[in-house]
Amino acid sequence: MALLSLRDVSVTYHAGGKDVHAVNHVSLEVERGESLGIVGESGSGKTTLIMAVLRLLPPGRAAVTGQALLDGRDIFQMSPQDLAAVRWEDMAVVFQKAMNALSPVHRIGRFLSDIYLRHRPKATRAEAKEAVIGMLELVNLPPRVFQLYPHELSGGMMQRVSIAMSLLFHPKLLIMDEATTALDVVTQNQILEEIVQLEEKMGSTRIMITHDISVVAGACKNVAVLYAGSLLESGPAEEVLVEPLHPYTQGLVDSFPRFDGDGKKPLTSIGGSLPDLAALPAGCVFAPRCKRACDRCREVRPALRPFGGKRRAACHFAGGEENV
Amino acid sequence: MVKYIGKRTMTGLLCIVMALCINFIIIHAAPGDPIRLLAGTDAATPEMIAALTEKYGLDQPVHIQFIRYAGNLLRGDMGTSIYTNEPVAKEIMDRLGPTILLALSASLTALLLGTMLGIFCARHVGSGLDMALGSVSYLFDSTPSFWLGLMLILVFASTLHILPTSGMVDLRGRYTGLAHALDVVRHLILPGMSLSLTLIPYYFRIARSSVIQVMNEDFITTLRATGMPEKDIFNKYVFRNAILPTVTIFGIQLAFLITGASIVEIVFAWPGLGSFMMTAISRRDYPLLMGIYLIMSICVAVMMIVVDVLYSVLDPRISHDAER
Repeated sequence: MALLSLRDVSVTYHAGGKDVHAVNHVSLEVERGESLGIVGESGSGKTTLIMAVLRLLPPGRAAVTGQALLDGRDIFQMSPQDLAAVRWEDMAVVFQKAMNALSPVHRIGRFLSDIYLRHRPKATRAEAKEAVIGMLELVNLPPRVFQLYPHELSGGMMQRVSIAMSLLFHPKLLIMDEATTALDVVTQNQILEEIVQLEEKMGSTRIMITHDISVVAGACKNVAVLYAGSLLESGPAEEVLVEPLHPYTQGLVDSFPRFDGDGKKPLTSIGGSLPDLAALPAGCVFAPRCKRACDRCREVRPALRPFGGKRRAACHFAGGEENV
Repeated sequence: MVKYIGKRTMTGLLCIVMALCINFIIIHAAPGDPIRLLAGTDAATPEMIAALTEKYGLDQPVHIQFIRYAGNLLRGDMGTSIYTNEPVAKEIMDRLGPTILLALSASLTALLLGTMLGIFCARHVGSGLDMALGSVSYLFDSTPSFWLGLMLILVFASTLHILPTSGMVDLRGRYTGLAHALDVVRHLILPGMSLSLTLIPYYFRIARSSVIQVMNEDFITTLRATGMPEKDIFNKYVFRNAILPTVTIFGIQLAFLITGASIVEIVFAWPGLGSFMMTAISRRDYPLLMGIYLIMSICVAVMMIVVDVLYSVLDPRISHDAER
């Protein structure tokens, strides 16, 4: 059984009298011990999707449908007590803006200890301190960080604190939302390597949200490509990123420098912009920007079809022209 | 911290000295002559006026007068009131108590009520009560306190006959001990209400917007994701972060009330510094005015120092910068 299984998850925001379809019928599986990178440009619904899984969307303003099975239990149907118990113990998250992830007027140690004591109510403050410092050391931070305030650390150190915080209870599932985006490339690389090492040590499962394909290529086993709230392609990263089936994935790959150092191929960008999520096109969501789009693409939305192994793609052209 | 307080005290002293100079120049530049007012217009002979002018040193050039005044001040002598012939220090001390009592009780009431209502509305944004309190707060915000005072007198004193309209004690009562204290409280209610009712809207709006802002901070989302109950998140983290602007407002407002509650003091014949100052101005009582202004600038400077020090205790980001 997959650790996390999303089944037909949709999220609709009600804004200004209109329904904004931020996530549309996304189905995904994340196997135990594997890592999944969810890529897509800004507004593609990546963050909304994981916020829905974490049940952190504002209840009045966003309607979530479908199922999110964590170890077979539907997160969307959990009682508040069950949810509180699952949170951080079974699934933890690292957010993008690490500098704002902690209270500015509390010491880092105090913040992390409070979280620790919330889940280990019988532990003493001293035990909490020991556990927190242990985690800080695990992400290569000195113990004195325990006494410091967030503004006294650099962006990279704060990101490490966020990661240490997320690992407090060795969660089964770790979700990282653009967790390394705000860092410089050198620090980003270091932290990514550390994450992969820690994962091997702890055997945890990771979902990584990013708009940076190189991050997925470097640190994720599988990849899922999200566009305008729809899943366009998924599969093992080394296959999807080398031979994309979907024109959008191809566009993303072409707009990044080659990993194999082939500098002769010019970088191209995808023309146009995301469709209006309140009025999605009837056919393929990518059709308005797709160079290959035909009439059928504009009329019939392609279903996500399997293409051998774990690969899936939602394009009429994928796997040969005969499907058009 | 000691160094910081020392530094702030030095700048506070500098401000007081500057205020002293400016006040001295302005008072002496203003039209009007205390001696003519003291001597009266009917029987005063030029010799009498010349003698009085010399007695109070007003025949000297302004800078000599200032040096004399400053010299006396350094020896602890604030001079003698031209009109009452009493030592200025004694006159002021008699009235400082009532003013501080009125300002402090009105400020604390407004702080507590306004902040509590603001927090309540922030946690129930968009509810009927939130909207109603929001409108009422604008109403009281735009009401002048002296007019409110008159209306309160009309309702509680003239019509209902349940509260006294003026003074601080019932002169016929000759109460002592607890009865005296209760009598003062009874007299305090109306002037206190007319001040605090116009102050509550400030605290209300500051607390409301500040809580709403903090509730939307990333670290609150982090805490929710850890499974911490909303109650704990609010008590431990939201409140502590949201109270910071209120501290600043409280200090400024209290300083303002000590110096600026004069109109309400006049409406209720409250024997405080504010109403006393107005009398001193109309009598051109230079030594008394200088003394009142000096005390007021000391109050403002002390409040500013207290607020700054308190703020640096509450917000580590401030103390960190200040101690460098």
